[in-house]
Amino acid sequence: MAAELDKQPPLATVAEALALRNDSVDHNARILSALGRLPAAGQADLAARVDRHLPADLNSTNPLLSSSAAEQDVLGLTGFGLFSFDRHLEPFAAAETVARWQTSVDGILDKVVLRDDLVWSDGRPITAHDVAFSYRVIMDERVPVPAVRSGTDQLRGVHAYDDRTLVYFHQEPLATNVWNINFPVIPRHVYADTWEDDPTLKDSKRHVDLEAKPVCGGPYEIVQRSRGQEIVLRARDTWHTVKGKRVRDVPFFKEVRFRILEDPNTALLALKKGDLDEMILTPEQWTTQTIDDGFYEKNTKATAPEWVSYHFAWNTKSPFFSDRRVRRAVSHAFDHERMLGTICHGLYTPCTGVFHPTAWMATKKPLDPYRQDLDRAEALLDEAGWLDHDNDGLRDREIGGQSVPFEFTILCNQQPMAQEICTLLQQSLERIGVRVNVKPTEFTVLQQLMLEKKFDASFGGWGAGADPDTASNIWATGEGRNFGSYSSPEVDRLFAEGRTEVDRAKRAEKYARIQELLWEDQPYTWLYWRNSFHGFSKELRGYVFSPRGPFHYSPGFGSLWKPAP
Amino acid sequence: MERPPQAEPVGVARPAAGFWAEAWHRFRRMPLAMTALAFVGFLAAVAILAPAIAGTKPVICRYKGRLYAPCLAYYHRDWEPVIFATDKFRGEYPRNLAEKDPASWAVWPLVFQDPYRAVRADEWPGRPANPARDAGRPSRRNLFGTNQSGVDVFAKMVHGTLVALLVGFVSMGIAASIGIAVGALAGYFGGWVDAVVSRTTEVVMCVPTLVLILALLAIVEKPTIWKMMAVLGLTGWTGISRLMRAEFLRLKSAEFVAAAGAVGAGPGRIILRHILPNALAPVMVPITFGIAAAILTESGLSFLGFGQPPPAASWGSLLNDARSNLRMWWLVAFPGTAIFLTVLAFNLVGEGLQKATDPRLREARK
Amino acid sequence: MIRHLVRRLALGLVTLVSISFLIYGLIRAIPGTPLTVVVSQTDPSRRLNPADLERMKAAYGLDKPWHQAYFVWLGNVARGDLGRSISRKAPVAQLIGERVGPTLALSAGSLLLTWLLSIPLGLYAAARSGRPDERAIGLVLYMLYSVPTFVAALALQVTFSIWAEGTPWELPLFGMTSGRAHATTAAWLGDVARHAILPLFCLTYVSLAWYSRFINTNLQEVLRQDYIRTARAKGCGPLRVLVHHAFRNTLIPLVTLLGLSLPALLGGSVIIEQIFTWPGMGRLFFESLRERDYPTIMGLTLLFSVLTLAGQLLADILYAWVDPRVSVE
Repeated sequence: MAAELDKQPPLATVAEALALRNDSVDHNARILSALGRLPAAGQADLAARVDRHLPADLNSTNPLLSSSAAEQDVLGLTGFGLFSFDRHLEPFAAAETVARWQTSVDGILDKVVLRDDLVWSDGRPITAHDVAFSYRVIMDERVPVPAVRSGTDQLRGVHAYDDRTLVYFHQEPLATNVWNINFPVIPRHVYADTWEDDPTLKDSKRHVDLEAKPVCGGPYEIVQRSRGQEIVLRARDTWHTVKGKRVRDVPFFKEVRFRILEDPNTALLALKKGDLDEMILTPEQWTTQTIDDGFYEKNTKATAPEWVSYHFAWNTKSPFFSDRRVRRAVSHAFDHERMLGTICHGLYTPCTGVFHPTAWMATKKPLDPYRQDLDRAEALLDEAGWLDHDNDGLRDREIGGQSVPFEFTILCNQQPMAQEICTLLQQSLERIGVRVNVKPTEFTVLQQLMLEKKFDASFGGWGAGADPDTASNIWATGEGRNFGSYSSPEVDRLFAEGRTEVDRAKRAEKYARIQELLWEDQPYTWLYWRNSFHGFSKELRGYVFSPRGPFHYSPGFGSLWKPAP
Repeated sequence: MERPPQAEPVGVARPAAGFWAEAWHRFRRMPLAMTALAFVGFLAAVAILAPAIAGTKPVICRYKGRLYAPCLAYYHRDWEPVIFATDKFRGEYPRNLAEKDPASWAVWPLVFQDPYRAVRADEWPGRPANPARDAGRPSRRNLFGTNQSGVDVFAKMVHGTLVALLVGFVSMGIAASIGIAVGALAGYFGGWVDAVVSRTTEVVMCVPTLVLILALLAIVEKPTIWKMMAVLGLTGWTGISRLMRAEFLRLKSAEFVAAAGAVGAGPGRIILRHILPNALAPVMVPITFGIAAAILTESGLSFLGFGQPPPAASWGSLLNDARSNLRMWWLVAFPGTAIFLTVLAFNLVGEGLQKATDPRLREARK
Repeated sequence: MIRHLVRRLALGLVTLVSISFLIYGLIRAIPGTPLTVVVSQTDPSRRLNPADLERMKAAYGLDKPWHQAYFVWLGNVARGDLGRSISRKAPVAQLIGERVGPTLALSAGSLLLTWLLSIPLGLYAAARSGRPDERAIGLVLYMLYSVPTFVAALALQVTFSIWAEGTPWELPLFGMTSGRAHATTAAWLGDVARHAILPLFCLTYVSLAWYSRFINTNLQEVLRQDYIRTARAKGCGPLRVLVHHAFRNTLIPLVTLLGLSLPALLGGSVIIEQIFTWPGMGRLFFESLRERDYPTIMGLTLLFSVLTLAGQLLADILYAWVDPRVSVE
């Protein structure tokens, strides 16, 4: 990454950038370009401390049991891994842990040779046997780790030939194989005797003790954990110095303290005060609460596009939305401008389908984002047979011998923005004779209803996965996240082909076609792409954004540093 | 022979007009309490006449030769005259009325704002759209300002008055009726009646309200604020019943009760006529505060997601809008002041009621 | 008396079992299970194997019908085992135990503060009833009552943490302790106390209006009694009349309130705990409801129910002590 950043000359000096206020695209670019640099030799303060924000506590410090984003933040620093993906979502093997990585010509095998200077935080060496052991535990039926198992279960096997050599066996030569070999690793010498007695990994006394102080394989180890309050990580010497020799870069911080603050107002106050060095900002905080001297005294902020989009999901099996014309009509009826301009503070860009316009797999064909056109919407509804037959102000249609009024319920979560957007839909559709009931639903109930497909419409969002094949989870017939029961044989075929196609250009064509097909069918009304907004202390440097935000890629948080005084 | 002098109707005590009429007489003579009652009456008037005070639909209009009252739609969705849908008004009345029928006229609400949505540009000829976000400060057109989406706060407060009043009365009414009745029976009869009632009360007390609301919300198709309030009423009576029971335990051994019994009064009469008026003091505060507190509870519930479905026009939803951005002080100041005045009013009325119904005071006035 | 106590305890046990049965049925009826939470948190790019989900269901005991699962839970409780939290992966007893102290600190402190302030306020209001100064105090208390908690919390945070930064008035923004090691227990207690000031204030200010009005109203009722007239006629000074004769006769409703406040001691306020990141029971309950963490929910419900029943028993015993005419048998 250093090489890439060096190729782009800074747009401003550090001093200038620190004095800037981030109120325009130009200023934002300057801030990122000046402050998002890696340090020159000796420039970083290696004894520095940093306070990070966690909106919720971890459920577990065991990387196998991890599932939420908060855990990713912490366990990304303490966990041991061989593979990752970079800023452009390209997979690679980490030079810190891997000596050599080869893929067989037929795509069935991956051979990895570990470095010989890897040590767990308790002093024992990390070997290929740990990886093979972790694979066994993950794949064992008794261990409840479905999140981590998915993907890993596509492998045929993992075998450790000696302390350093590993071979991953795949079932077929797919382009997606490279993602399946990326699973978390736990120390064999710690769990070998205990996991079979307690496959849940959290019940027995030994496992409970390990939760408080786990054995870590990454650059940091957990030294203190107060539930609901904070988690303290410290850089461990055995990561960068083995047998007296410096073998890896020293991490930029000596101590990382995660403070758990659930209330966003309190977190912002803490950032302003200096108790926090970084946090994610809500759009509201970005536009209204981080613009004054009080904020800029100690902090600055930055934003970048993220591959997270929000949409209305239509249940294609419901009597209302099985017809493509109705879905298109609703997309035409919705007041997109008002949503983008007012509710989203003018911060987001309209979304034209499943892939972000800057992604390699997005379609090159220009897709027009929908604009409110009530006449067109009414024409489409009339065409689909939804007219006001009984003259009561509400459209209706005869289905199965009965007159069904066009009244449906849209589910959303309890966030104010989600409710505002759904209310805007209600008002837009009210004008053309369709009645909408907005039902903010508790998060867990919402998930349950979606899984059981008991809904007419819902509001939600997805974050893009690193590989476009992950979208097949949502769009292929019968897949787990295909809540709206969308089914298109051509899309299914294209996904299957995309999996096996190794040539990047040809793959891109297939996914582009998928995006175009989905755009025509409108199983979702795609609304907007979200940016990620982040507040940083003025002492921090080195933050670089990726389509997954500033931290959820490699190096992610590892590129942040504080200058030596 | 002289006729005996007629008894002159001077200085003779009027026949007892009944307990409540007498109480009302005394209440009428307390200026503070009457002012408070007048305020409550004012709120009630605002609640009933809300569509005529603030709205974007005409109160009455003449269109194509017939009279209509579109503002009734604010009471119930189905009461909007169908002709405006068939004629493609799309919810915008001022321009469409003039364009589609030049001979039409309309009587508009006092304030042209909608409690459920922001007014669009040029909806009222010559008027810009409602400001949104931080720009929604109180201004000439938006007396109390607008919330983040641009919805007028004054309109929301006017239309939310009905919810505010009824929410308190419904939940407290249920809770008070059950609580007083149950507590009185338990305290007066004692023995196994008390045992059964007290154990049942304990069971209801142990059920966490949050769990109940969550269960109700998930099971019911269309959760409305009334169902929530019914739940609050059905679970909130326990405190009142315990207070009542304690008073009855204390008073049933009082002398006047023995006296009433000696005269031949049955348990019902003793409870209602003799003990109850003396026992009301401890429950006045929970009841009067409870009515006002219901408004704050409604706010808390909608924050947790259990309130009216959006777009809700209630004082509580305004407080929730304020949560994410307290710089918009008008979202807190106006509902907060309204709540303060309501609390004050209900407490003054309660105070007045207590003084007016106190049997001892009645004797004192003689 | 002893026989009465024993009978109450036995009935209490029956009540506890019925309550726990009712609540368990209720929370199992709510849609969504701990599994739903797991599924929703999983990155959407990962496919979830339905067979895996079935196995997890069995691991959590969700494949059995709920009444069966209830009896398993009951049996464990009888043996003293509250079970393991599903979402937090720690024993329920440990989770609750960690939070008892902090919750008690805030709630007991708040209760004490409320009583200490409300009793004099109520007495004063009763003595000066109707006069301008009493009306003024009443107005101030009503205004306090109308301020929503989150507004007050934020205002206090801004004032004492941000504006007062660097001055001796500065108070911590969040948390229970500052996380640094302390030399002595006294130093640690002092740190906790400093952190508790703002949350305590937020918990207390709302109740002042209610409690002082409550005491005032009851006192007014008593002050109109004949024996007060007698006492006054006998020449007792107004203070003595108020405190010695009148106040004692308002003790019965106060005892009732005390009994009703017992469960609140371990209840905690979700809003305040969230804003100030105070590790309390309110947050634990709310989050375990959201996560459908059945063992934790049941453990907490059991705790609250025990306290509720104990509170009622305490109140009943105290009635007899406070007013000899009342017998509870």
